[in-house]
Amino acid sequence: MNKLSRWLPAAAVPIVVVAGAVALPAMSAAGDVPDRRPEEVLDLIASSAGVAFSGTVEQTSELGLPELPESDMKGYGSSDESAVVEFLTGDHSARVFSDGAEGQRVQLLDRLAERDLIRNGSEVWAYDSKRDEAIHAVLPEDAEWSAPATPPDLAEALLAKIDPTTAVSVESGNRVAGREVYDLILTPRTEESLVAEIELSVDADTGLPLRVEVDSTDGTDDAVSVGFREIDYDTPSPDLFTFTPAEGTVVHEKQPTPGVAPAMPEPPEPVVTGEGWASVVELPGDVLASADPEQAALFEQLTVAVPEGRVLSTSLVSVLFTSDGRVLAGAVPVETLQAAAR
Amino acid sequence: MSQAETTGTRVRPLALLGSELGLLFRRRRTWAMLAALALVPVLIGVAVRFRPNAESGPPFLTAISENGLFVSFTALTVSVPLFLPLTVGVVAGDTIAGEASLGTLRYLLVAPTTRVRVLLVKYAAAAVFAIAAPLVVLLAGIAVGALLFPIRDVTLLSGVTVDAGGFAVRCALLVVYVAVSLLGLSAIGLFLSTLTTVPVGAMAATIVLAAASQILDSLPQLDWLHPWLFSHWWFGFADFLREPIVWDSFQSNALLQLGYVALFGALAYGRLSTKDILT
Repeated sequence: MNKLSRWLPAAAVPIVVVAGAVALPAMSAAGDVPDRRPEEVLDLIASSAGVAFSGTVEQTSELGLPELPESDMKGYGSSDESAVVEFLTGDHSARVFSDGAEGQRVQLLDRLAERDLIRNGSEVWAYDSKRDEAIHAVLPEDAEWSAPATPPDLAEALLAKIDPTTAVSVESGNRVAGREVYDLILTPRTEESLVAEIELSVDADTGLPLRVEVDSTDGTDDAVSVGFREIDYDTPSPDLFTFTPAEGTVVHEKQPTPGVAPAMPEPPEPVVTGEGWASVVELPGDVLASADPEQAALFEQLTVAVPEGRVLSTSLVSVLFTSDGRVLAGAVPVETLQAAAR
Repeated sequence: MSQAETTGTRVRPLALLGSELGLLFRRRRTWAMLAALALVPVLIGVAVRFRPNAESGPPFLTAISENGLFVSFTALTVSVPLFLPLTVGVVAGDTIAGEASLGTLRYLLVAPTTRVRVLLVKYAAAAVFAIAAPLVVLLAGIAVGALLFPIRDVTLLSGVTVDAGGFAVRCALLVVYVAVSLLGLSAIGLFLSTLTTVPVGAMAATIVLAAASQILDSLPQLDWLHPWLFSHWWFGFADFLREPIVWDSFQSNALLQLGYVALFGALAYGRLSTKDILT
C-alpha cells in the first residue's frame, strides 16, 4: 500500500496537465455586446481606419493539397516554387505593427529566418534574412498601400466584393485574441461555389477586423484562417518603422512606375464566365512549356490528370491546366471547370 | 546543538550537489563530450574558411565569411537536433544507473539523505550540464569565428544590428533557451536511468527517444501531436534573434518542458523510492 502511494505524483501530473489543457481555453467567457445590424458593423469597420496596434497573426490552411514533409532541412536552398507551396500547405505566424497612419511593419516569422516588410510614408523596405538582401522602393504619391495578408487588409478586399450574390448576417458572443467580436457572416447565394461561408470577426470595441475564416462546401471548416492570436492597441515604437540596412546587407533599389508592376509582362485579358462566387476565369498560358524540371516535378506532384489536361484541386479553389494551353480557375468544383473548358 | 543540526541539514543538500558536480566535471568523459561539442564550430569555421562560397547549407552559414560571429549561431543550429541531445542523453542516462552499475548507489542511499534528495541532486547536476553544453558551443563558435574571420556588429533576423553588448545578451538568452529545451529530455533520461543497472541502456534509450520525437515532429499527418513533443520548440531559439524579441515560443517551450520534468520526475521518484536497491 505504502509502495503504491509513491506512484501517486506520477499519476497526478497527467491529470493536472489534462485539466489545465481543458480548463484554460474554456476560461475565456462569452462576450456580452449589444446586437448590431450588418450595416452598423460595416460602419464600425470603416471607423477603425487609423487605429494603431501591434499583434501576432496566425495563418493556417487546410486546402487538401498533398502535404510535403516538413524537415529540418527546410530553407537549405529551397526554391521559390516550393516556398509558395509550403506557404499554402503550412501554418505561419507573423507579427504586425501599425501606427494607424503611415507606418506599418510585417514580420513573417519563419523557422530560423524572417522576412520583413516595412513602410514609412512613401518609403518601403523589404528584408529577407535568409539571403541578407533588402529591397528599397519609393511609392508614388497616389499609390495604394496594403500590408499583405493581415486580417484588416483581407477584410477590406473582401468587403469590396460584397454584392447582391452574397448574404450578410451578424453573430455576436465570440472572442478572438481575448477581444469581444462581432462575426460578420458572408454566405454566397449559390450552390455552385466551393466557398460555404466566410466569417469575419470584428473587434466590438475598435472595429478592427481580427480574423477571417473561410469554410468550404466539402465540409472543411476553416479551410483558410488568418487571425490575430494576440493584439495590443498601444502605439508601437516609431523605431520599428525605420529601416537602415546593416553593413553587408545587399540593397536592391526598385523604382516602380505608377500603374505598371515592375518587370512583369502585360497580363493577358482574362475571360470570365459565370457570375459572383461561381465565376470561372480563363487565361491563355502554357504553364508546362515554360517550366524547368524542378517546377515540372512539383507541378506533377500537386496536380492530377483529367481528360482535359491536369487539375489542381483544393477545398476552396480549383485550377485546370488544359492540354491546349489554357488555364481555368475559380472557387468552383473541378467538374464546372471541365464543363467550361469544352 | 539544535542550531548545529539545522545548519547541518541546510548545508547538506548544497554539499551533496557540490560533490555531485565535482564528480560530473572531474570525469574525463564529460570533458571529452564538451570537447566534441567545441569541435562542431571548429569544423564549421575551417570548412567555410577553405570553401567560402557555399550556395546553400544550414541557416547563418552564408553569413560566416562576412562576419565570424555567425559561426556560433551556425554551430548551435547544427548541434541542437543531434549533438546536444546526444551528450545530454549520456549524462542523464548515467545518473542513477551509473551508480547502480558501480555498486555505489547502495552506499549513496545509506548516507544520511533521502532518495528524493539523491534524485534532485542527480537531476540538478544533469541540468547544469545542459547549461554548460550550449555555452561551450557558443563560446567556441565565437572564438573560432574571431580567429578565422573578420568580425563586426551582428545583423539579427529582422535586419537590424546589435553591438557587442547586445550580442552578448542574445547569446546568454540563447543558452537559456537551449538549456531549458533540454530539461525535458534530461528528466526522461533520469527516469530511464532508474529502470536499469546498465547505464548504456538508459543512455541509448534517451537518445533514441530524442530522435523519435524529432521524426514524429516532422510528419505533417501527426500535427495534433506536435505541440506535445518535447522537441517541438527546439528550433524556436531563433525567436531570440529577432527585434523586438518574440517570447511566445520560449513561454510555450518552458511550460512544455516543465510538464515533462514534472511527469518524468514523478515517475523517477515512484521507481526509485519503491525499488529494492541491491547494488
